[in-house]
Amino acid sequence: MTQAQALDEVTVREIPAARFAAIGWLVLVLVVAAVAAWEWKMRTLGLRAGDLGDSKSQWAVERRKVAAGEHDDVVIIGSSRILFDTDLSVWQEKTGRKPIQLALPGTNPRPHLKDLAENSDFSGLLVVGVTPDIFFTDWPGIPLFAGLTDFWKDETPSQRFGNLLWIELQGRLAFLDESYRLGTLIDRGVALTDREGVRGPQRDVWKLSESLDDRQTTMWPRLETDEFLRDHARWVWGPFSGEPLLEHADVARICEETRKHVEMIRARGGEVVFVRSPSAGLYLESEERGQPRARSWEPLLRTTGAFGIHFEDYPEMRNLDMPEWSHLSGASATRFTRAYVDVLTREMPWLRGSHTEEST
Amino acid sequence: MVFNSLTFIVFFAVLLLLHRLPFSWTTKKINLLLASYIFYAAWNPPFVILLWISTLVDWVVARRLYESTGAIRRRAWLLVSLAVNLGFLAFFKYGEFLLANWQALLASFGVEYLPPAWNIILPVGISFYTFQTLSYTLDVYLGRSKPLSSMLDFSLFVTFFPQLVAGPIVRPGQLVPQFAVPRQATSSQMLWGLGLMILGLFMKIVIADAGLAQSVDYVFGSDKAVGFADAWLGTLAFSGQIFCDFAGYSTIAIGTALCLGFALPENFRMPYAAIGFSDFWRRWHISLSTWLRDYLYIPLGGNRGSEARTYVNLMLTMLLGGLWHGASWTFVFWGGLHGLYLAGERWIRGRTGVAGDPVGALNRLALALLTYLLVNITWVFFRAETFEGAARILQGMAGLAAEPVAVLPTVYMIKIAVIITGMVTIQWLMRKRTLEDVVARTPWWLTGLVAAAMLFAVITTQGSGEAFIYFQF
Repeated sequence: MTQAQALDEVTVREIPAARFAAIGWLVLVLVVAAVAAWEWKMRTLGLRAGDLGDSKSQWAVERRKVAAGEHDDVVIIGSSRILFDTDLSVWQEKTGRKPIQLALPGTNPRPHLKDLAENSDFSGLLVVGVTPDIFFTDWPGIPLFAGLTDFWKDETPSQRFGNLLWIELQGRLAFLDESYRLGTLIDRGVALTDREGVRGPQRDVWKLSESLDDRQTTMWPRLETDEFLRDHARWVWGPFSGEPLLEHADVARICEETRKHVEMIRARGGEVVFVRSPSAGLYLESEERGQPRARSWEPLLRTTGAFGIHFEDYPEMRNLDMPEWSHLSGASATRFTRAYVDVLTREMPWLRGSHTEEST
Repeated sequence: MVFNSLTFIVFFAVLLLLHRLPFSWTTKKINLLLASYIFYAAWNPPFVILLWISTLVDWVVARRLYESTGAIRRRAWLLVSLAVNLGFLAFFKYGEFLLANWQALLASFGVEYLPPAWNIILPVGISFYTFQTLSYTLDVYLGRSKPLSSMLDFSLFVTFFPQLVAGPIVRPGQLVPQFAVPRQATSSQMLWGLGLMILGLFMKIVIADAGLAQSVDYVFGSDKAVGFADAWLGTLAFSGQIFCDFAGYSTIAIGTALCLGFALPENFRMPYAAIGFSDFWRRWHISLSTWLRDYLYIPLGGNRGSEARTYVNLMLTMLLGGLWHGASWTFVFWGGLHGLYLAGERWIRGRTGVAGDPVGALNRLALALLTYLLVNITWVFFRAETFEGAARILQGMAGLAAEPVAVLPTVYMIKIAVIITGMVTIQWLMRKRTLEDVVARTPWWLTGLVAAAMLFAVITTQGSGEAFIYFQF
């Protein structure tokens, strides 16, 4: 018999002689007990059911709202600061509009500004959060959120359905939080010295935020009180060398590119504003040395002709609580949002009218 | 749809329920077929059309082949099947590669040619189902089998979801007869199938993705030279990642099919315990290596001609096997390297007259480790995206990298050492044993404890639903 003929024989799989019923029950009991204990432990660490985390799929849901949106939508792009520091319910309360939150942690907003300018008919108000050591660089951002400008269109039906299931599960189970997965705990929990030049998983920040539906994101309450987590986050943000990340010519190029995209949105009747959220401590000092306002923020506003809100210019936006120097605590985020939305509504009175009033 | 997703859990639960309801066998097969189309369409709906075309063409061609008597007509019908199936493959998988090489060739003659942008998405698993349908048509052409009488059974053979996108590549004779009579898993089959699914998910989510993938990305993604330890650990990590990813998929596929009452063939058999390269290819991606042997190596003449012709056939088979994996010269080189290894082994065995395993446990262990080491060299070309990248890693592995940088965190280095040592040891200890044999001899409570630990690790690790590496092939 040839090998080919042998392969033409019907496959039969051997089933081992084992006490499958007993094994099945044992697995079921052990896994249910272990998962219940794990869930209890995670809740004692401060994790909560209903914290949806952030994912590409969650972002894609919001991005598709822009594609199908109203002409006067408010959309927010930026990095983690404008994401954590914005209370969407304050927007809703003050303007009757709930912005679409598209800001992403550790991500440069300029590719998203370009995408909205060139590949959409967006004509509402675009709020761009400016984190100087990200915005004024050519770094696109952390790999986790790479490729999002295409993902929201290419997301598969399976991924979309999976996200719906995920929301249901996450609403009931706290342990699903990606910051406290078993593999992550092993990587970060083992304190080992790394070789020179190696950035190990201990240099990844622990959980920073909680996210609800509509990507409403706030600082994780435990970070506001836990000194270890707070100090660890500060250490991760370091070493605060304050070195300029780009030459002046690069800043000029970035400002010019941004101007082009701002004007494309304006040409459609839209508007773009920039918001510089607060930072504090050594982080702020480092930013002032590395990307001083006069050589980054000011040229940006001058070149684009756009309106900008810098926290230093408004007393009500100063002296807010920033446990790890880069993001506002939950309560301060609400105060900051209230303050910057007030400024915006003074500058753009049309924001006070609701969708319904505008459209009628 | 990927096995390691929430969507699949719901899909599979609904399908299992449907399969156990008192419908007629034909209705159950229709359910399975529709479910298989949904499984595929959940990734990209329009590409289901390719499956339909492939199914229809091979259904018609096989019947015409069987009815035709003239050699020319038979060849013409075979060409239709080859043109459609390999045409899809050429267009979707190799189009950009062919165009780039055409451009390079013209450039070497001083002709400047700027091809249009090639923004074609690769249909997932196209290489797998193309080979599966081709095996049906080729078997009929070679007179090994008759065309099927049921289009439903044939469609299900082409599309059966557990092995549709990443194998095992099944021959008609292995699977189609199972569609003839009603099948429903016994409780033992169901529980064993679920056990295999847990094992496969553990291999994919916990070992391949959470345990090793990041280290591999660090080393192979470095644009600077890496040192001896990083280069070796990164490559060893990839050997573990690719095995656990692919064998994990096959194990889930076999378990899924078993829960529905169907049997799929083994695709991996402790490959890193192989002694020599012919042994390796009897243990690694078995369904592909046997496909290449039966539909390429043997039709080329196999080892029936001169010694030189045998070596040529071997090299051609392995080069094409490399190209099957991806549209890149690095994959072709990977295949060529395996061809050289096989040829070298054949030459040594021919000169020394040694057949089978060597005598002495230490000799066997030493040769197995040498085989594993040489296989790791080939993995560098499989994983690196360019020859420059591969050269950078090989320089590091040889300790010749100039000004190397350290890239792997200490905790990752320890993880790689633990996982790879464990993986190779287990494979060595199970070299001549099957999982079924081991489970049958293990106390039931110990099997339960291990299965529970694996399932707990899967649930608490979760993963991010990353696609299996072999989907791209």
